[in-house]
Amino acid sequence: MGDDHNINLPPGFRFFPTDEELVVHFLRRKAALLPCHPDIIPDLDIYPYDPWDLDGKALAGGNQWYFFSRRTANRVSANGYWKPLGIDEPIVRGDGKKVGMKKYLGFYLGEAPMDVVTNWIMHEFRLSDSGSTSKSSKRRATSKADANKWVLCRVFERNGGSQGSIGEEGTELSCLDEVFLALDDFDEISLPN
Amino acid sequence: MSLTVDGQSQVPPGFRFHPTEEELLHYYLKKKVAYEKIDLDVIRDVDLNKLEPWDIQEKCKIGSTPQNDWYFFSHKDKKYPTGTRTNRATAAGFWKATGRDKVIYSSFKRIGMRKTLVFYKGRAPHGQKSDWIMHEYRLDDNTPTDAANNVASSMGEAAQEDGWVVCRVFKKKNHNKSFDNNSGNVSSFSSKTQMLDSSGDGALDQILQYMGRTCKKESSSAHDHQNANNNNNNNNIINAAAAATTNNNNSYLRFLTSMSDGVVNERFMPLPPLESPTLPSLPNDFTNSTDDHQDSISGGNHLNPVYHVDQTGMSHDWATLDRLVATHLNGQSESSKQMACFNDPMASNVNEHYLQLPQVLMRSSSSSSSSVLNHNNNRLLYNNIINDGHLHHHHHHDQGYNNNNNNNNNNSEVDLWNFTRSSSSSSDPLCHVSNSPVL
Repeated sequence: MGDDHNINLPPGFRFFPTDEELVVHFLRRKAALLPCHPDIIPDLDIYPYDPWDLDGKALAGGNQWYFFSRRTANRVSANGYWKPLGIDEPIVRGDGKKVGMKKYLGFYLGEAPMDVVTNWIMHEFRLSDSGSTSKSSKRRATSKADANKWVLCRVFERNGGSQGSIGEEGTELSCLDEVFLALDDFDEISLPN
Repeated sequence: MSLTVDGQSQVPPGFRFHPTEEELLHYYLKKKVAYEKIDLDVIRDVDLNKLEPWDIQEKCKIGSTPQNDWYFFSHKDKKYPTGTRTNRATAAGFWKATGRDKVIYSSFKRIGMRKTLVFYKGRAPHGQKSDWIMHEYRLDDNTPTDAANNVASSMGEAAQEDGWVVCRVFKKKNHNKSFDNNSGNVSSFSSKTQMLDSSGDGALDQILQYMGRTCKKESSSAHDHQNANNNNNNNNIINAAAAATTNNNNSYLRFLTSMSDGVVNERFMPLPPLESPTLPSLPNDFTNSTDDHQDSISGGNHLNPVYHVDQTGMSHDWATLDRLVATHLNGQSESSKQMACFNDPMASNVNEHYLQLPQVLMRSSSSSSSSVLNHNNNRLLYNNIINDGHLHHHHHHDQGYNNNNNNNNNNSEVDLWNFTRSSSSSSDPLCHVSNSPVL
């Protein structure tokens, strides 16, 4: 575990899951005790791992790291803690159905009054509380509690690198490209017919 | 994990075909050129002349996972038997190269070139620019590309223009539109951005995010943006825009300073620093502030350093100036017209675009004095004016104010420091203020 290379894919394939995929393909199956295909995202406790310690332990996809964790309110690591930012966002499936929630957290060094903000961000995915967590949870009484036990975390450093749910290297124009593109508007388009 | 070949590739959930430029060139294109078999048929051959960009999506999809970009091989054919130009016209339009080709390196070794093209609907010269962008990669052919008048290179050109290339096609995200509307339209940004910016109207945040993403290739010093906790108003942007524009060609400055009557004057002139009768008394003022400062340092009667004395008055002035600038920039077309009075028509035309395109703005400002952006927020424009004009003595106050402001942890201030760094990689030592210490 820890990187993409245990999956036999040609060069160029990378783990860049969408939020929906994370919830539907990975978190749901995990919660329902179904095997994940591929089973590549490891279980990891938040404590004691600082975000920069995740490399080699969590699944790396680009500059992002993925792991399952037990749901907890106390997200403390060895040298800091994860603090929720803003409000949670629903994860909506293609058919419009809400399948999960996404919480944004920032990593702070130290403890509350004397803490220092870092560039590390976590997206914490959990299944919807509304019982839409698949039929299997209805079938088994115990699995409902179990379903809400797991969260899926995506951790990355916000430094201008890839930060979206799908990596965007190469699908964005560089500053220079944009300038040239803008300047093209003043050109006369003069291609021979 | 095995994948079905046969054009029906089964990609496991969560995986995307997202090759690096090096992988595209060194693995895929090299194999293609050498007629080697490629394990999976992930990159198809495409006849560019017969494929419209909106059909590429269907033709080049990999598995059933959503994609933002599509890849294909294309064999470039010469447009004319004697020429070196490539025919990239389709039934509905044509691909037009933009900018200069970019050299692609692999561990410091040059391996190929990338050409950027834009799809225009219609026929040249009346094509209508679309959002479809193509990066066309070709392997390096060991010929000097800059030797335009070299006979040998023209043969090389011919060879390079006639062969396999690997292309990546994607749709440009339209950031400019959301900036144009200036109405908090963040639909073109990831929802994450919205979430991090709880104020919901963070135009500055949008630009910062945008800069962070787009600058990462060009600028090795692109840094993080601490925009998670900030509530910025659009005026910051507008002022930054105004300042950068001013700095670029001075037209806006001249516009402001030349407005000697009317409502602008009424609101503008009462600002004490600008109409101060002590205009020429630079040494006097400077000495005063120095004395004050020394007093406070030496434990004199002054409990506050001079900055504190100034701050309230100054900030009031800034607010006024801020409103003034905002007023004028809201009537953007109007002010653009005004600017045209001071410029040749071409320049004023460019000017309008500067106001709309943040990235152009930032490029232009980065080539100019970095101090303009260092004195950010409302003070941007003001600084410009005093730097340009005869009010240099107030600059000292301004510096002090800025320092003080930083101590007070003004968030928007910090934000713009980052703004400065990422856009112009300023060497100003004060920029470290915004650098969150990471142990």
